[in-house]
Amino acid sequence: MSTRRERSPTSYALAGPAGLWMLVALVVPTLFIVWVSLWVARGFTLASPLTLANYGKFFARPAYVHVLGDTVQQALVMMVITGVVGYSIAYFLVVHVRRPGLQLALFLGLVVPFWTSALIRTIAWIPFLGVNGVINQALLAIGAVDRPVEAFLFSRAGITLAQVSFYTLLATGPVVYTLRNIPRSLPEAAQCLRATPLHVFWLITFPLTLPGVVIGQILVFLNVMADFATAQAIGGHKYAFLGNLVILLYESGQFSFAAVVSVLLMTTMLLGVALLLKVVDIRRFGEP
Amino acid sequence: MIAWRTRQRLVKGALGAVTVLFLAYQWLPMLTMAVLSFTGPEGGTTFPMRGVSLHWYRELLRVQMVDDFKPPLARSVALALACSVTTAALALAAAQAMRARFRGSRIYFYLILLGVMAPGLLVGFGVALLARALGLGLAWYTSTFAVHIVWTLPFGFLTMLAVFNRFDRRLEEAALTLRATHWTTFWRITFPLVLPGVIGAALFGFTLSYDEFARSLFATGPEQTLPLVIYAQFDRQLQPTLYAIGAVTTAVSLGAVALFACLVRLFRRRTLTRARAVPAPNIP
Amino acid sequence: MAGEPDLELIDITKRFAGFTAVRRVSLVVDRGQFVCLLGPSGCGKTTTLRMIAGLETAEEGEIRIAGVRVNDTPPWQRDIAMMFQDFALFPHMTVARQVGFGLEMLRRPAAEIRRRVTDSLAAFDIGALADRKPDTLSGGQKQRVALARALITEPRILLLDEPIGSLDYSLREAVMLELRDVQRRLGISFIWVTHDQNEAFSLGDRVVVMNHARIEQVGAPEDIAERPRTRFVASFVQGTNVFDGTVESVDGDHIRVRTPSGSFLVPRPDERSPSAGEPTSFSVRAALLTMRPGSEHVNQVRAVCHAIEYLGVIRRYDFRLADGRSLKLEQFTGRDRRIGEGEPVTLGWRIEDGWLHAPPVEPA
Repeated sequence: MSTRRERSPTSYALAGPAGLWMLVALVVPTLFIVWVSLWVARGFTLASPLTLANYGKFFARPAYVHVLGDTVQQALVMMVITGVVGYSIAYFLVVHVRRPGLQLALFLGLVVPFWTSALIRTIAWIPFLGVNGVINQALLAIGAVDRPVEAFLFSRAGITLAQVSFYTLLATGPVVYTLRNIPRSLPEAAQCLRATPLHVFWLITFPLTLPGVVIGQILVFLNVMADFATAQAIGGHKYAFLGNLVILLYESGQFSFAAVVSVLLMTTMLLGVALLLKVVDIRRFGEP
Repeated sequence: MIAWRTRQRLVKGALGAVTVLFLAYQWLPMLTMAVLSFTGPEGGTTFPMRGVSLHWYRELLRVQMVDDFKPPLARSVALALACSVTTAALALAAAQAMRARFRGSRIYFYLILLGVMAPGLLVGFGVALLARALGLGLAWYTSTFAVHIVWTLPFGFLTMLAVFNRFDRRLEEAALTLRATHWTTFWRITFPLVLPGVIGAALFGFTLSYDEFARSLFATGPEQTLPLVIYAQFDRQLQPTLYAIGAVTTAVSLGAVALFACLVRLFRRRTLTRARAVPAPNIP
Repeated sequence: MAGEPDLELIDITKRFAGFTAVRRVSLVVDRGQFVCLLGPSGCGKTTTLRMIAGLETAEEGEIRIAGVRVNDTPPWQRDIAMMFQDFALFPHMTVARQVGFGLEMLRRPAAEIRRRVTDSLAAFDIGALADRKPDTLSGGQKQRVALARALITEPRILLLDEPIGSLDYSLREAVMLELRDVQRRLGISFIWVTHDQNEAFSLGDRVVVMNHARIEQVGAPEDIAERPRTRFVASFVQGTNVFDGTVESVDGDHIRVRTPSGSFLVPRPDERSPSAGEPTSFSVRAALLTMRPGSEHVNQVRAVCHAIEYLGVIRRYDFRLADGRSLKLEQFTGRDRRIGEGEPVTLGWRIEDGWLHAPPVEPA
């Protein structure tokens, strides 16, 4: 709390610029997209009459519905993988690593790549996954396969592999935070009440980290739903998620349809977040 | 029945293996790319490398390359600097406002945070549509700048909120009892102490803007930023020059982070030494 | 198996990086004893407690609970329960679930758990809190929940790590007495760690004074207060004056000790015969000093009254001696001789009121 009286005009003046910026550059354009999605005309016509038929048209095309399904499916797969891997890393860092120097070093090692360009990191996966790529060369070298596996590049598996490296840390971070907040005496008290390590984890530690898990899952969900660059770079033109569809439609001038896809994407994301928030009462997240 | 200590060690080993493997998983692609950027003139975009040379880096310096990449680079840097300063200023103001729980501050909080949750592509899309509707042109220093701030501001905001959370407001109260005005108190007491947070917000503003492409995709005019130029390469044949660009860009990003970290350290040390430099009062 | 002690610690040692936390500590706790581990922070008392619980492993030595060696047994298989200073209540569980947790872990049938939890809550007068979560409870209530939770598994030993440290001052006394009652009723051993001497002395059947990873003295509170074995114990116990000096001469049953404040006679302890010139120390209880020394108060010294504390039943005087040292004297209020600040007086005590200390335990 600052020393200002509550509700002083200074607060509004200070808050104004940022709030205004978000309204003008984010909220208004979003509402505009919704409006455009209701246009009858396909091109850009401000005076266009409004209709809900565009949405019907979307769901009438199986290819488009497929894209919606694919996107959600990809998000779910990523949530599961990053959830498990992310939690394991978080648990190891917080519970098993004793020396603070090592903890910091590992943490930095995990976080520093995020300070580099996401595009470059995406590109870097291509030589990795390709027929002559590093993974295949390694597999050939250890004799796990006779011929290079083509299935890495230009495949869903490849996209998933790359996305795991991008988004797992989103799942790790919040779990690290909630794990750190558990007083050391809690698992010890449980142990002194005849709880084996497995019991301690499942009945004490994990439930207390649930808010962190959910926040991590939400972050991963949002990012994967909106991701288009990975699909494009690594999937080639064989794969499209909702984001890629929007680009396609925009570039072919079908603005209202692109807007429809945008609205569906946003709605799906909102629904997903709402569902995930039901799992745990997030409002208690910040409490010690 | 394995002894419990062995089981514990096995679990620790397994989780440690996952962590280390994941670390490698994250770094190897970038390191591979960096290594491949040194491939010889005959080399392709994957292994085996044919010779080791700075060929592709020299290629970067070719006039054509320079003409292709230098303007976008300049724009990206300029944009990043502008975002850095703007984010820091807006985030500081917004966080300071939040400290005094004004009416609607809850909604305000979510409004700012919306910038992180909204998909970048759609933000750019909406701005492009709106600009078209209003007959405005898109340009890197107007519309792109606007959407960049939408993305960087929430990060700066959260950073400042966290810093203010740890801030002891009794220091401000003490200053007020010593006849300082709110304004003076803020600039002489509060600001220097939250400066690391401000620098952090500025850092977020710089690095997030420098790298931004999703929002910029639709919202940028004909004059592109660097990430967009790189993105355009996705559809073309990969050249090791791209790896060289990648290696350079990564080095710049890491350099920026290191620079900011040093700045924070420097400020901390200066504030502390200045305190120590005050001579002890000579009380008889 | 009846008859064997609840706990035996045999020469246990624990080292952390760079220092030894517990060094060759040995202790036997018979059935149903209330033992307090007392000492300053860092003395090793908490580490010892944690080794009994199994939360730390002993590098050397043996730990036996009910006659069975438990060095390699993990905490969840030991017949113990523990109470923590921050109560360590599980924030996401109701009181009822919490209290029944131990039985749940022991795989008791649900009906039995319900019954025993209800009984336990009633016994500790917290039945109304059954469905509440810990964050809605007061300090005293949390205390009771933690206790009910710990005792429901009927452990052989209850370990308590500064259990009343985080309670309001006014509550502590009441809770202390309540816990002592529980211990007497149940007849199980309590091992209570504290740095507060008053706590340890009012609760413990036996007090274990620890310092620098070692045990300095074990005994009933009276023994420790009146016959402190080492200088450390004497200085740790309140209401004791400590004198440092050298042995001047040995005179049959008495020893003359020269100190900066003067030369005094102390009874010679049976087992020892100190040699002249040896450094030594002795103590005299503050309650045994007198301001009106008679012929039997052979040891005398001039002092000036520096400060007076009124403590209700007793009055505590702080005297300054010529060499600057201070002496404390305690006297029942109502005693006739009273003096004011700044007044000079001669203090005295009998030879047998002094107690010579053993040489200090080797430094850590």
